[in-house]
Amino acid sequence: MARLSLKNIIGKKSASFALVQSFLEQLKADISIEDENGKILSGNEQLDPVHQYPIAVDNELLGWVKGDDNAFIIGSLVTLLLQKEGEKKKLGSEVLNLYQEVNLIFNFSEKLAQTIEPAAIAQITLDEAEHIIKSDNGVVILWDEYSRQLQVIAKSGELFFNEENINNNLSLLLRMILGGQSEIIDDISLLKDAGIVLPQVQSVLYSALKVNHRIMGAIILAGNGPVQYTAADLKFLTTLALQSSSAIESALLYEKNIKEANEREEAMRRIHEVTRKFVPYEFIQSLGYDLITDIKLGDQVEKIVTVLFSDIRNYTTLSERMTPEENFSFICSFNEYMGPIIRLNKGFINQYLGDAIMAIFPGNAADALAAAVQMQIAIQDFNKQRELFNQAPIQIGVGMHTGPLIMGITGDHERLDATTISDTVNTASRLESLTKYYKASIIISEETLQQISAPDTFHLRLLGRVQLKGKYAPTSIHECFSGNTEFELQKKLETLPYFTTGISNYLNSSFDRAVSAFQEVLDANPEDLTAKFFLNNATGYLNNGVPLNWMGVEQMQSK
Amino acid sequence: MENKILIVDDEAHIRMLIEQTLEDLEDEGVIFFKAENGEEALEIIQSEKPQLVFLDVMMPKMNGMEVCRRVKKELELNNVFIVLLTAKGQELDRQKGLEVGADLYMTKPFDPEAILNKAREVLNLPG
Repeated sequence: MARLSLKNIIGKKSASFALVQSFLEQLKADISIEDENGKILSGNEQLDPVHQYPIAVDNELLGWVKGDDNAFIIGSLVTLLLQKEGEKKKLGSEVLNLYQEVNLIFNFSEKLAQTIEPAAIAQITLDEAEHIIKSDNGVVILWDEYSRQLQVIAKSGELFFNEENINNNLSLLLRMILGGQSEIIDDISLLKDAGIVLPQVQSVLYSALKVNHRIMGAIILAGNGPVQYTAADLKFLTTLALQSSSAIESALLYEKNIKEANEREEAMRRIHEVTRKFVPYEFIQSLGYDLITDIKLGDQVEKIVTVLFSDIRNYTTLSERMTPEENFSFICSFNEYMGPIIRLNKGFINQYLGDAIMAIFPGNAADALAAAVQMQIAIQDFNKQRELFNQAPIQIGVGMHTGPLIMGITGDHERLDATTISDTVNTASRLESLTKYYKASIIISEETLQQISAPDTFHLRLLGRVQLKGKYAPTSIHECFSGNTEFELQKKLETLPYFTTGISNYLNSSFDRAVSAFQEVLDANPEDLTAKFFLNNATGYLNNGVPLNWMGVEQMQSK
Repeated sequence: MENKILIVDDEAHIRMLIEQTLEDLEDEGVIFFKAENGEEALEIIQSEKPQLVFLDVMMPKMNGMEVCRRVKKELELNNVFIVLLTAKGQELDRQKGLEVGADLYMTKPFDPEAILNKAREVLNLPG
């Protein structure tokens, strides 16, 4: 506040200048008005004044009125005017202070509205408080209901709080904070003794942060020097605390909501991920959906696909030698080997049926055959590992057929199942069974072969025609030996011309020629059990005669 | 030439606040004039030619925008630095302020310190 001065009253620019002048004229007064330093502000110099009156307001000398008898009247008038001016200034200054506070709180609210982070809000509050209230240190602490600990979320200056100590002396601080009060602590010996504040701290001012009578924490300011905090400081701090409490509360709620939303999203993602393992994404995609949650009972789609079946040979015998646990872990490690091969070749596993795998290849049949070959090669690798543990090698048979298949959602409204309904599945399964009969590792149907655009990339042998149980039309079947060992592969390639001759004679009922051709194969490759199968059959027909309706078609009575 | 500041606002307490804020300048010889409406403001600007005018926008009898337009565009008193004052939340778009030739605009509640600094800057008075 600018100092009160006589110039305010009798200066030429002042409003009361004219009034004072008119008084002086009317009274024909011969006086001078001087400031406290004797400088004449009005009238003539009075060398030997009869009267001289000091002009003082609030015990402060502001000047003199010197001269004749009128000096008293003029002195009284000037004093009165000065008192009025002083009151006006004081009032103005108080209003300005209040206005500054309003402006500050206005700006503070604006800053708060722009942030949604609890620590940032606490820091803004602290900065704002320290801007107005003189202090050396400050902290904002929050009470965490879950951990039942106090936590410093904003600080400034030397950390007068020992973060570890605050929780060691919870009861002391809590008694202070949870009282929900705001106060100036003059005697801080308790806090010092507890090691909560540094020794140089001399005075502490705090205000609780609370929302709806729930205490969240406190904002605490401290001064190192002999700071005397005032009621106005406390009032201001309380106002800031009140504002920031609800902002911090909202920010914490927001944080909690975001966290919960993320957790829900993560849970959904995991459920989704697991669901995909039960129902392949390709299955859902084939139905025209992206999410499993979209599927409904009765959804279905028909496609031409290749169905692949694989089965472990003599698994029953194998499993009899294992405990149920060993059995289970064996199947799991086996499937871990096979699953990726199917996916890499653009297929998906529709079902694991114990030791059997049913996979669907929606693209080209060549994908399925490539997968089958790689599965057979993988088995060789799998067996090498088993050998290290003195375990017997295993063999798998793979059969496949290409044809229409309906994929759909069956069940009832409470229990859904992703199902395939197709005769193609049955045929593929039966062709897989035939691998045991023909001693072949992979058998594919004619329909599958027809869909493969470059059959030359695979090593194939015709195995004749079969009449599958329950089927009207016989089917040509082929062995693929690309997945055999290098040795077997070479032998089968060498003997392929004899084998082909053997099969064509066999199908034409020229059994004697068939016998000699298959004998050639076996002479070169005694391990060719398929050739041996045909040799035995041909020899049998030669010796015992052929059924009347023999058309070169094997009647498959088993499944 | 004497330094003169004109404070124009229809609300007495705002006039008082601005004057109180700039009080220290009085000791440095600055003369204050006050007006409570646009018409009065225009008269004082013409007769006293203050270097700096704090001009409220929303006022009876000619609003601040119109006062500013007349001073800058019609009277072409380009040596008058005009600060338009608007209430927060009623900010005019800056374009409109520029069109009528205002030199600056501030929002109420104003920051007393900012007002004092601006006055010192315009009147070329050391702080």
